[in-house]
Amino acid sequence: MTDPLILFDLLLAGSIVALAVAVLSVRDLFTAIVVFIVFGLLSALAWARLAAPDVALAEAAIGTGVTGALLLKTLHHLRHFSDGQTQDAARDLTAVQPVPMGVTVANAAFCGLVALGLAVAFLGAPQAGPGFDALVSDAMPHSGVAHPVTAVLLNFRAYDTLMEVVVLLAAVIAVWQIERGLTEAPAPALGMVWAGFARLTLPAIVVIGTYLLWKGAEAPGGAFQGGAVLAAVGLLLLLSRLYVPQPSHRGLARWAFVLGTGVFAGVALLVTGGGRVAFQYPPEHAKTLILLIEGLVTISIAVTLAALFHGREPVALNAPESRHDT
Amino acid sequence: MPIDPLILSLFAPLFGAVAAFLFPRAAAVIGLLAVVSICAAVPALAREVLAAGAVSVALGGWAPPLGISLRADGLSVAMLSMTAAVGLLVSCGALDALRDARQRQYFWPLWLLLLTGMNGVYLSTDIFNLYVMIEVIALAAVGLTVLSGTREAVRAGLEYMYASILGALLFLMGVGFVYLQIGRLDFAGLIAAEPSGAMSAGLALMLVGLLLKSALFPLHFWLPDAHANATAPASALLSGLVVKAALYIFLRLITQMPMPDEVLITLIGALGAGAVIWGGVQALRAERLKLLVAWSTVVQIGLIFIAFARAGQGGLSESWKAAALLVLAHGVAKAGMFLAAGRIKDEVGHDIIRDLDRSPMRPTLAQFSFALAAISLIGLPPSLGFIGKWSLMEGAMAAGYWHWVAVTMIGTLMSVAYFSRVLAGFLRFDRVRAPVVEHQGWALADMAPLVLAVSAVSLGLLAAPILSFLELGYPFGATP
Repeated sequence: MTDPLILFDLLLAGSIVALAVAVLSVRDLFTAIVVFIVFGLLSALAWARLAAPDVALAEAAIGTGVTGALLLKTLHHLRHFSDGQTQDAARDLTAVQPVPMGVTVANAAFCGLVALGLAVAFLGAPQAGPGFDALVSDAMPHSGVAHPVTAVLLNFRAYDTLMEVVVLLAAVIAVWQIERGLTEAPAPALGMVWAGFARLTLPAIVVIGTYLLWKGAEAPGGAFQGGAVLAAVGLLLLLSRLYVPQPSHRGLARWAFVLGTGVFAGVALLVTGGGRVAFQYPPEHAKTLILLIEGLVTISIAVTLAALFHGREPVALNAPESRHDT
Repeated sequence: MPIDPLILSLFAPLFGAVAAFLFPRAAAVIGLLAVVSICAAVPALAREVLAAGAVSVALGGWAPPLGISLRADGLSVAMLSMTAAVGLLVSCGALDALRDARQRQYFWPLWLLLLTGMNGVYLSTDIFNLYVMIEVIALAAVGLTVLSGTREAVRAGLEYMYASILGALLFLMGVGFVYLQIGRLDFAGLIAAEPSGAMSAGLALMLVGLLLKSALFPLHFWLPDAHANATAPASALLSGLVVKAALYIFLRLITQMPMPDEVLITLIGALGAGAVIWGGVQALRAERLKLLVAWSTVVQIGLIFIAFARAGQGGLSESWKAAALLVLAHGVAKAGMFLAAGRIKDEVGHDIIRDLDRSPMRPTLAQFSFALAAISLIGLPPSLGFIGKWSLMEGAMAAGYWHWVAVTMIGTLMSVAYFSRVLAGFLRFDRVRAPVVEHQGWALADMAPLVLAVSAVSLGLLAAPILSFLELGYPFGATP
């Protein structure tokens, strides 16, 4: 109670709520996205204050960085296409029907019920839940790594993490198949400063991303955070047009997307036998295997996030197969 | 080294998806191989379950609550077999039904990822793991929804994704609060938990998320468009299999958790009744065949929830069996019906119900399959749908819930009415101007709906063994 940072915490909590309200009430989409990014950064700070540095890193890198970039890119696309259309065609694209009053009331009732449930669950929750802490610290010596979060993610509950990686794979496959043969919005013109910025920051980002991954074994960090930071390299390359995706690169990209999933699942299966079940790494090799999995998963995450930012399968635009619009 | 069939049924589709994505030209072969290997693994698993009652594996050697264990009992294996069998037939149908090169290429990885997610759900014993699995299912299912590439499909897919993500988010928040309460995530921990207000609120959040995902009225708004606008094999998978995953989780959670009270159960039954009536009215009004079939899914989901709520005086420990039978029956029949509807649309050239009787083209085999599937969905003997509906009504009558019997009967009559709209179109010839042509020869795509529809009707004869199989290893806590 006598924590000198209590004022800071209160201020932080207040600003997060205020920013959330601002995101929802601002009419201009660009402003909303910028406020959302600030909101994400402050949330990351809040996670750090809650002694959850892993979550803070993930929130900053994925929840704020990559998500913000995706939102801005989408906005750029939306504006490009609505500018290019005549007024009628634009209206056809975003046909907004007025919502009937009954639906609004029903939605409000539904949200009210959910909020009530949240409130009851929150107020009734114990101050400090029992949690996994004791179990995890008992099992740590057999995990092969020194950081408990990494031990949970890559060893104790590796199955969940594998499936999280699969979710990302499913996302990129779903995005690639939506390729509609539409022309791309032109990239914004970048000045000299921007190119110089890219040249300066790229090496630094690579080092930071790799460091996050490497430190993950004994300190906060790991595949998802490292991958998201490395994805920023891809974003910068794409934005600065230093790299332009070509149809001929698809094969390589596919391998990069599935690398993490494939190796993770492969290791999980190959360690079976001799009384061991799937995901049961031999203790003497646990650290090596976990690092191998994390490293390759990081590459997959980085490439996948960058591909999601690009947002489409790079197909030749005049190829007949890419046209199957209505 | 023999691979555990439990593990195989998860990893075969996963590796299949990876390989099908890497080698688009061989995607169909890889996909079929993966599905066939699951079809081989599931009977092996069924044998083990028959012998032992329930089989489980603690992944990584870490026992719950720290680790995650997979567990198969009668209900899981029944769901796995339904998924594998329907999946195999839909896959065969997809070989022929998907014409577009792009659709052929992307159907397989998405479908195999979907299969990974669904098998994962049926084997899971951990609520966080269930959340991850429903995310896998959601993304793959959205991908399949928009596979046809039409503007309507993309719009419906976007709506589906919003609903799906909202449902998953509610589920996740519930999981978080439950974890805060009891400090563990495995089913065994949940069963042992002390009932409390906060605990119920957490579970209720999870259940609401699942209701949204399984499209129970009035949270069904996303389903008809999404299912009606997908390509036929995708519709069959979405309607026949995907909604079942959320239903299954609902069934597992609600029958085994310290949760339900009488008010809540009645509420679920009432929502089910709403779905039966409202879905029936919309199906009567639907102009397009696939939309009618999609609305009939809304009706059937309502019926399944009525069965949850009210089939028996013993409460949920008795009524879940009627619900599970209806789930199985609907999975098989609806997949067959959507494939048949897709065939009819392909052959006739449109799927406007009013004009079906004008068409000189009569794809008789697909129409026959459609009619058989309708028999099971209406619930005429000897179909599996009949057995499901019968055990629902028998249980409700025994417990004296006459108004629930009435709702079921009204739903049945309405389903007769809306399916008759279609069947009459098949059988009338007086509005045809040109000479009537039956469709030219057999197509591989006719086989899948026919087999599915025939099995939906004839599986009713096997109802007794299916029922006793469902009970293996149940209730959850009894066998390790």
